[in-house]
Amino acid sequence: MTDQVYYEDVSVGDQITPARLGVSRAQMFLFGAATNNAHRIHYDYKWATEREGYPDILVHGPLQAALMARALTDWGGPRSRLARIDLQNRAFAVPDEELVFTGVVTGKRIEDGEAVVDVAFREERDNGELLMPGSATVALPRRGVTA
Amino acid sequence: MTRHVKPGEIVEVLTGEVMARDFQRWAAAVGDLNPLYFDAEFARANGHRDVVMPPMFLPCVTSQPTFLDALRPDGTRKGRVAMGPLPEDLDLPPRRMGGGDRRWFYRCVHPGDVITSRREITGIEEKAGKSGPLVVVTWETIDRTGDGDLVGRCVSSMIAR
Repeated sequence: MTDQVYYEDVSVGDQITPARLGVSRAQMFLFGAATNNAHRIHYDYKWATEREGYPDILVHGPLQAALMARALTDWGGPRSRLARIDLQNRAFAVPDEELVFTGVVTGKRIEDGEAVVDVAFREERDNGELLMPGSATVALPRRGVTA
Repeated sequence: MTRHVKPGEIVEVLTGEVMARDFQRWAAAVGDLNPLYFDAEFARANGHRDVVMPPMFLPCVTSQPTFLDALRPDGTRKGRVAMGPLPEDLDLPPRRMGGGDRRWFYRCVHPGDVITSRREITGIEEKAGKSGPLVVVTWETIDRTGDGDLVGRCVSSMIAR
């Protein structure tokens, strides 16, 4: 997690801190357990490849969404708050491949008394293939205003 | 053939209590080590009464036990998918994947909060996909605390093909 970002310090066009990471099979097991998800495409290699025709088991969509949310609030700092996220699942991800989460600030405003910034984000494969585009709104603290 | 679903026809209302251990397991699995989620002292120093629930955990608060005899062959649950209720008699194609989500989070949630989530199918639409026909099912979820405070809203979709 980076230091706290304040609303006043953010400009349209700023990049959020990118995250590059792979999801391991052990991480998928723990996420499946934490979300009570028994769908076999996420852990049963034979089922995923032979029955459903995928190249491997598939990384959970909600895990990819959670990793994007993590990148957003890691950038915003511990006093940031995710207020909105809007994402589309365009293509599947498989374990151990590198996933790249990036975002750019597209707007900032005061909404219902809260200072917020809008971010357009993308999750891509290492080769640039788009997996999950979307947008988010992150509330940030203002300088000189305590929580 | 899929059928039209009337507003209010397929609704699920579930209640669950927010537990720190549950959302901390989730956050650890995500690798999201935000101190707000794990360190009560840090959370209190930042204006919270206790550790904060990661907002993306919200749909899991009302998660119910999975009974083995309620599983379909692919491991998904009869009558339900992650997004909400899905009656078997809708007779959808067997392969399912998430389409996308729009989520709004209106306030922070803490351990001990009780969340009631109302999930409703708001649309079933047949479409022509790149690799054949597919069906898009859409749900809307409204999450409230025991006092009726709005916590979150979600519009999510699933693709069956």
